[in-house]
Amino acid sequence: MTDGDGAITGTDIAPASRSGGTIRRRRRGTLERFTRAVFGNRGAAAGFVLVVVLGTVALFAPWIAPFDSDQMGAGGRLIPPDATHWFGTDEFGRDMFSRVVYGARLTIQVGVIAVGISLTVGLLLGLVGGYAGGLLEKLLMRSVDVLFSFTETLIALAAVAVLGPSLTNAMIAVGIAAIPFYARVAYSVTLVERNRPYFQAAYAAGAGHLRLLFRHLLPNIIPPMIVVATLGVSAAVLAAAGLSFLGLGAQPPSPEWGSMLSAGRDYFKQAPWIMLYPGLAIMLTVLAFNLLGDGIREALDPRQRKT
Amino acid sequence: MTQYLIRRIFSAIVTIFVTTIAVSMLIHLVPGDPVQIMYAQSQGTTPEQLEEVRRSLGLDRPLVEQYVMYMERVLQGDLGHTIRGEQPVLDLLLARLPNTLLLAGSALLIAVAIGMSFGFIAAYRRGSWVDTGLMTAAILGVSMPHFWLGLILLFFFAVQLQWFPVAGNDLENLVLPAVTLGVTNAAIIARLTRSSMIDVFDQDFIRTARAKGLPRATVLYQHALRAGLVPIVTMIGLQFTYMMGGAIVVENVFGWNGVGRMAIQAIFQRDYPLIQGFILMFAVVVVTISIILDLIYVWLDPRIRYD
Repeated sequence: MTDGDGAITGTDIAPASRSGGTIRRRRRGTLERFTRAVFGNRGAAAGFVLVVVLGTVALFAPWIAPFDSDQMGAGGRLIPPDATHWFGTDEFGRDMFSRVVYGARLTIQVGVIAVGISLTVGLLLGLVGGYAGGLLEKLLMRSVDVLFSFTETLIALAAVAVLGPSLTNAMIAVGIAAIPFYARVAYSVTLVERNRPYFQAAYAAGAGHLRLLFRHLLPNIIPPMIVVATLGVSAAVLAAAGLSFLGLGAQPPSPEWGSMLSAGRDYFKQAPWIMLYPGLAIMLTVLAFNLLGDGIREALDPRQRKT
Repeated sequence: MTQYLIRRIFSAIVTIFVTTIAVSMLIHLVPGDPVQIMYAQSQGTTPEQLEEVRRSLGLDRPLVEQYVMYMERVLQGDLGHTIRGEQPVLDLLLARLPNTLLLAGSALLIAVAIGMSFGFIAAYRRGSWVDTGLMTAAILGVSMPHFWLGLILLFFFAVQLQWFPVAGNDLENLVLPAVTLGVTNAAIIARLTRSSMIDVFDQDFIRTARAKGLPRATVLYQHALRAGLVPIVTMIGLQFTYMMGGAIVVENVFGWNGVGRMAIQAIFQRDYPLIQGFILMFAVVVVTISIILDLIYVWLDPRIRYD
């Protein structure tokens, strides 16, 4: 699920030039690189615009949507797209455009919560594993490897089977499922950073564990993790929509895109628009984060830039 | 080689061992009383009957004892009985597993065939409109949810054109699900193939081969393709795992009678013995297949074989 080509490893995306300077100056450099990454690459710029549009739609949903998302009989049943109902209406006469607009809010929630879980836990596991070394490292990383070989779909299904079907549980399940992937990336980046002169110097100067972990390692691990998290949003949105489509996530009448597709299945012969727009919305969202993530990755990785 | 083999098989055994622990403890992670939840949908179960079930599942024993009991049964090929219908779980799963493997396998073939040729062409015509077009198609493919593509294919080829039946389990029913699963994953392979081939095209041995006047076809297919294949073949094991995960969703779109479809029904019915059996079997299948593919890879790449 996470990042299609699975080619991210720590060394792949570790920022190339790290020539000393104070932390503040380096941070500004990173921000500059991000801005250049986003606006210097057509794909990434398109992704960024799409993400902004999605955010705006979600934020202003009540003003953008002409009807309430759950309002039955806002129009007749199964009306094809027209001037009043841009995306047509569903089997209960609810306005599809309004439902898709409100669905953006749920999708953003999925992205933030699921990625929040995998990023926080995965980052901590990888960071501590890479820093600690010895038995703790072996124990942590072996467990992560075992989890990784289960595949995310299986972990997510198991989590939903335990927690029971609901959108919140689906978000948690998707978040848990991706932890091994985030932990692996964080771990490999930490291993690289641990051997750099700045870290060795801080260590030799007698910095404590917490200072080494959070003041020295963490700021340098965050940029590559941002790439992983951006691509991770698209994976999380896809996975959660899949669970909702299977009926294991959001439940009707929630305007979640996956569950709208699932509900519209019985009517798609008469009313194909019911399955067109929610699917398109999922695809554009996933596409947006994929483009943005790819763009940032290219900007951070000089080896990719030349191709 | 032998050492690698032993290490690989050892880690597989560890993975499966951890799976058995996780699976046998799964039922205790369920919030609330699992037995009551399992039987919530069947009416007229008395408290005595529930108590009986609890005893027969061994839920009244200490955890370690439960695990030992579970393993004794599993090693004898007994994965328990379903809650609904009291059928042996292993028989149910084994009856449907070939369908899932057939689906995932045919999808993998489609994905590899399309993905590698598109990636190869894109790399060869790097920077041209062909490259741009193919890579745009690939990122759209990566961003498309399986279930949505499945619905669209169903709509056009089964409902509109009526080339294929809407649901069923004959070989002609395999076409649409396999294409659905294959096409989305082909996009991933295409992106990977492209970057791998671009790396190869830039290398000295290709320049040498060209400089000494070898025919273009020889350079492309015998020198470049062979070298470029190595990282792609490594990915195929992982791809198969994705396919197995994706099959769960796709089976549900097309009503293909595999283990994935059964697992989703089991989650709905809270049929924990069946869910546990499914997770265990899925893990065993995925681990076994990735070992086999790893061995093929080792055999293909002499650098690893003689390490």
